[in-house]
Amino acid sequence: MVLSPDTASPIQSKRQAMRKSRRRTIVRHTILILWGLLIMFPIYWMVQTSFKDSGEWVTWPPNWVPHSPTLQNYGQIFTFDITKEGVARQATEQPFNIWGALGDSVLICTLSALIALFMGTFLAYAISRFNVGGSKFRHSVLIIRMIPPIVIAIPLLMYYAIMVPLAAETVLGTRISLFDTRVGMSLLYITITLPFVIWMMLTFIEEVPYSLEHAARIMGAGRMYTLRRVVLPLVASGMVVTFLFVFILNWAEFLLALTLTHPDVTTLPVLLNKFQSASEGRLYGPQAAIGTIITIPVIVLGMIIQKHLIKGFSFGTIRK
Amino acid sequence: MANIRLTELVKEFGSTVAVKGISLDIENGEFLIIVGPSGCGKTTTLNMISGLETPTAGEIMIGDRVVNDVEPGDRGLGMVFQDLALFPHMSVFENIAFGLRVQKMEDQEVQERVRAAAEALYILPLLYKRPNQCSGGESQRVALARTIVNNPDVFLMDEPLSSLDAKLRVDMRTELKRLHDRLKATFVYVTHDQAEAMTMADRIVVMNGGKVEQVGSPLDIYDTPMTQFVAGFFGMPTMNFLEGVLTSSNGDPIFKSGSLEISLPEESTQNIKDNKVVLGIRSEHVSVSDGALRGQARIIEPLGDASLVYFEFGEEEELVAKVSPELRISPGDQLMFSLQASHCHLFDQSDGHRLN
Ligand SMILES: Nc1ncnc2c1ncn2[C@@H]1O[C@H](COP(=O)(O)OP(=O)(O)OP(=O)(O)O)[C@@H](O)[C@H]1O
Ligand SMILES: [Mg+2]
Repeated sequence: MVLSPDTASPIQSKRQAMRKSRRRTIVRHTILILWGLLIMFPIYWMVQTSFKDSGEWVTWPPNWVPHSPTLQNYGQIFTFDITKEGVARQATEQPFNIWGALGDSVLICTLSALIALFMGTFLAYAISRFNVGGSKFRHSVLIIRMIPPIVIAIPLLMYYAIMVPLAAETVLGTRISLFDTRVGMSLLYITITLPFVIWMMLTFIEEVPYSLEHAARIMGAGRMYTLRRVVLPLVASGMVVTFLFVFILNWAEFLLALTLTHPDVTTLPVLLNKFQSASEGRLYGPQAAIGTIITIPVIVLGMIIQKHLIKGFSFGTIRK
Repeated sequence: MANIRLTELVKEFGSTVAVKGISLDIENGEFLIIVGPSGCGKTTTLNMISGLETPTAGEIMIGDRVVNDVEPGDRGLGMVFQDLALFPHMSVFENIAFGLRVQKMEDQEVQERVRAAAEALYILPLLYKRPNQCSGGESQRVALARTIVNNPDVFLMDEPLSSLDAKLRVDMRTELKRLHDRLKATFVYVTHDQAEAMTMADRIVVMNGGKVEQVGSPLDIYDTPMTQFVAGFFGMPTMNFLEGVLTSSNGDPIFKSGSLEISLPEESTQNIKDNKVVLGIRSEHVSVSDGALRGQARIIEPLGDASLVYFEFGEEEELVAKVSPELRISPGDQLMFSLQASHCHLFDQSDGHRLN
């Protein structure tokens, strides 16, 4: 069988197109892999450093893998006995353990994310259904987030450490300070994450058709009943995602926590900054161990959210 | 028992006036259908009856009380929405039970009433499925069951069949009508589908541009459309319209349009003073098997039980005739046609109101 030129050329061009798209795939993947390596390298370095003995922390040329892997660093930060003498030596010298900061971080981050979620969800509902604040409000809300934290860090310090105690003393007669308190940090985190919550919850709430609420209303349901039985169940997965997202933001926040706490309250990122020993200088091993511990929830939660975001939030039968 | 009375109902959204003063008496137990083109204010009118929208002006009475300031849930009505509005996170059972749960009814009674409603609509096997596991027709029944379980006096429906495929839609029409006969409740039904309105309604309200064009029984509206808009809206294919003038020769009224001349029955044209008119005639009243006028067939559309013949005459004027399918006509054929003068409708050319 002889192919006429007419039929041969489309096949050829198809083959050409395939070759072209394969080349493009290769290029794209090469770039992505390189980029991935660039991103992953510090994480790799941190994790492997966390398993290194103090003698290996700063060797030159660097050791790419720990030559004698040890759990000593974890032992120190969690204060459990690996090798009796090792812990004894370092732990007595350095009281740097993770438990206090872990407690503070979990408490502050969870509490403030929950409160922000609660407030933000209702605010988003009001903005979506009653157009509270006008049609541009939803955008201006997000602008608050664009202020660099450093701009508010020092003014906040003034208020937390001076103005609030002063005002409390004159009005209430007792000194109440927000500086270096869990309440102070929680209030701050609620404030700075609220715009995110509103923004994210708005997108979820807007996906719930009005007609569902109308149907409930006609069947006699009040506003709160409708919210509880119809709207909130439908945005529940969105609330989980928003909570995790905000939790991560708080979990990793450093600058404001550094400025507004010391010495009573310590969050994990701030603790990370404190690894300085009188006798040994920078304690890279325990620091890397804590860095690794902090990173684990971020990666796990990040993966959970990502799955949800990719899946999208189709509610099945809702026909628009 | 609930009749509904709308008095001079107006609804404005900012600068757009969606409903421009509607007065309507809906009788108890009536199947009333509001029909009109997209954007004419049907949904807005329905939503004012339901209470989801507050009227800008005017009064709504259900039974013998003014309900302008009564919450939707306290008006004693049920509504089926265009998108059905089933709660996707609840089982069919809980969807149907929603209204009863709001009233904090005993669980035993909820069970009984939900089952009764489900049985009436043949969806008992679906009770523990989710709405997204139901087909379009089944979802439709669930939405109806959710409404009837609350025993409302008035059923409001906003294009409830529009999401169904054509065959199912026709089946559901019959079923809705049967449901209405059984429940003896007042049905107010909104659609933009004239065929749906014709087949189901006791009375039809034709709306256009926020106003009522005509209220009447389906046959009334079909046989005696009061405006050119109504005449054109009802019937498939659309009524033929010819612009022309009305004159008389020897006292007999004659309609003239280009080469066409039709003498009309005398009594129908008594009080017509205006000369410029639009003549409307339905395709079934155009005959192409005999007649004195000459035309040429252009397009033939066989419908099965009849055929539509689109033909040209005079200076590129076109008419459509509905003829028996046995009549074999091919595009290009010459034909002789006539119009049944007794079925001609005359409308004013300027505002479209009926003249004869
Ligand atoms: N919430 C609203 N805000 C502003 N304008 C509105 C609103 N609801 C309806 N309108 C306007 O009012 C007019 C009537 O709308 P309505 O929904 O009653 O039409 P409809 O007859 O139901 O049309 P359709 O057949 O497309 O559903 C339209 O011009 C529409 O744009
Ligand atoms: Mg509508």
